[in-house]
Amino acid sequence: MSKKAAARLVVQALQHKYGDRPVIEGLTFTLDAGQAIALVGPNGAGKTTVLKCIVGSADPAAGKILLDGLPIDERAEVVRRDVATLLDDLDFFPDLTAAEHLDLLARAHGNPAPEDLVDTTLDDIGLLSAADQLPGSLSSGQRRRLALATALVRPRKLMVLDEPEARLDTGGVAWLSNRLIEEKKSGTSILFASHDPALVEAVADSVVTLTPLP
Amino acid sequence: MSSAEGPVVFDPADFGAIPSSRSLRQWMRTTRRRHADRSFWQVFEDVYLVVFTLAMVGATGGNVVRQLNTSASQCSSFSCHELAAYLPWILVPLLVATTLRVLLSVGPVSASRAAGFWLLATPVNRTALLRPAYWLVMVSVAVTGAVTSFVAWALLGSQWQSIWEGSLLTAALLVCAACVTVWAQQTSLRIKWTLRVADLLLVAAAIPAVWLATRNGPSNNNTQLANVVISDADAQALLTSGTSRLLVVGLICLVVVLVLAVLTARTLSRLSRTTVIAGGELLAGLAGAASSLDISMLADVVSGRHWRTKGRAHSRRGRGSRGAAMVHRELVRILRWPRRLVIGFALLVVPYAVAGAGFDVLVPVAAGFAGFVAVRPLMDGLRSVCRSIGLARALGMDLRELRVIMAVVPGLFAALWSLLAFPAIGSGVATFAIAAGMLSGAVRQASARPPSYAGPLVASPMGAIPPGLFSQPIRGFDLLLVCLAPVLLGLSAMWVLLIPAFVLTVMFSVRPKTA
Repeated sequence: MSKKAAARLVVQALQHKYGDRPVIEGLTFTLDAGQAIALVGPNGAGKTTVLKCIVGSADPAAGKILLDGLPIDERAEVVRRDVATLLDDLDFFPDLTAAEHLDLLARAHGNPAPEDLVDTTLDDIGLLSAADQLPGSLSSGQRRRLALATALVRPRKLMVLDEPEARLDTGGVAWLSNRLIEEKKSGTSILFASHDPALVEAVADSVVTLTPLP
Repeated sequence: MSSAEGPVVFDPADFGAIPSSRSLRQWMRTTRRRHADRSFWQVFEDVYLVVFTLAMVGATGGNVVRQLNTSASQCSSFSCHELAAYLPWILVPLLVATTLRVLLSVGPVSASRAAGFWLLATPVNRTALLRPAYWLVMVSVAVTGAVTSFVAWALLGSQWQSIWEGSLLTAALLVCAACVTVWAQQTSLRIKWTLRVADLLLVAAAIPAVWLATRNGPSNNNTQLANVVISDADAQALLTSGTSRLLVVGLICLVVVLVLAVLTARTLSRLSRTTVIAGGELLAGLAGAASSLDISMLADVVSGRHWRTKGRAHSRRGRGSRGAAMVHRELVRILRWPRRLVIGFALLVVPYAVAGAGFDVLVPVAAGFAGFVAVRPLMDGLRSVCRSIGLARALGMDLRELRVIMAVVPGLFAALWSLLAFPAIGSGVATFAIAAGMLSGAVRQASARPPSYAGPLVASPMGAIPPGLFSQPIRGFDLLLVCLAPVLLGLSAMWVLLIPAFVLTVMFSVRPKTA
């Protein structure tokens, strides 16, 4: 009973279909506070789809997804406050700099003076020199780092990350690994999809392997 | 990526109250102002230019509508009477169906992808964030509905008061339809049912159109219509019984619309981020296409959205090889979206309705344009290979050859469509000219290059633009008109056959230019 109360995210018998074809069938797992689960599997196995179902970008055909015991609904304010996501849905305002984007996000989450937080995060993620650049002038790697930074300038109980190591160099992946371990220590739960065995090995407490359905 | 002091991990308790949407927008305005690269006067000049242009177009358009209203109100034929009696029954359901479909395709409440991530994904009040977009939709629908119905009723030769009442009622009806679409946007099931209602309304609009097209009434009965021209005399009486009625109708419409719109606005928090962003992406694509005045790209954006939404289709094996295989694949591809064929054939009602209304001289033009609209959506395959050099190269054929192959199935459709329209057109050679015009026009538009900003540019008040940008919207229609010209000019049958045949020959002999 006490273990159930601590579960931050519960996924029960999740099913998702594209048309009539199921891509996820009966997926069940529980993610506790301060733990990390890695979703692994080949392309087309449904890793991103699972993450999309959890953040409300895709509608499951069946099953339950509970956050802190309540059905997860992206429209609920509490979900938007507690769940930090890094999926393939990031875009930028062309006329705001990298620093201003993070500033905006922190303010929107209730931090009225986020300058220090933004500077620290930009430094942490190696983007301090690009703080004043507009998104159009950022490289794809810098954009990816900025995307990662969005999860770090806001409150979070659960991080949902889709291939966070994508487009990062070796040093970047090592930094990411350490960073996620620190996040876990602070009580944040992490659910991430990855193709990097080293990152999975270092961060994940358990691994869910998905296989493409016939 | 390193931090000397180690990573800083944050706690939700470090964050205070969630800011209001208004304060966040204010912050964005202030921040953006710092990057502004245009002065106040430059912005003012642009706004002035837009307002001045709108005023000029409005004044000219208003004058034209007034003149046409005068002419129409003097028409005493049976055809005019029939048209005036039946057109509202076609127009109103058509407008409501179009409103439902168009609004649901763009949201109706939409936001950019960036706003979706940086604002809508935060705990800031979603209703407040979406409210400006919502009211913009409502006002746009009201204005569009009012203007469209104003013009339609005026062209029918209606009285001043009828025009205003019709416009008010139509605008109110369309705003109610817009509210329904916002309600429907909240779940996919509601969207599905609302689209079905839109389809039913299209059928409802088709019934009087078909009746008008097929009825056999006297062609020149001198039934005098009881219409009154828009005149200054109408405006002189300040508070007649008619004006009072208009005020009451207006007031009732306003109250109903406002109550419904305010109630609907309260449900904006139920909209999911996904549906809101999807519309925003579509609008961004359409805006990009519109800025290059490229009608084909507009169609591409809509078509691309359809296939992304569909996501999956049953794979079918090909047949034959080379050209035959591609023709078969085109047939399969076209049959995969049967709605376009249904709409294409439904457009046959246009030449019949025009002929039925007694406007025989307009039948070729109406048939040509309706046929063009029917056949153009079937050209997506041609469009894809002409826009992608890589795809054309991968298929291993010359682009000219590909253009001929990919026009086979649409060409057969054009031939069938024209044959079915033949009874309304009434002339074999004119039917050929119309078929040739709609096919060559659609092929020309579908194989158009996008405007290139990489080559020489021409200075204009809007900045540097590629030469030929302004000819983009008429691309395709120009060939249609060339083919129709001998029919409209009343040239001999030989010319009516020769000119379209020449256009077709040239069209399929020339290699299209690549992007």
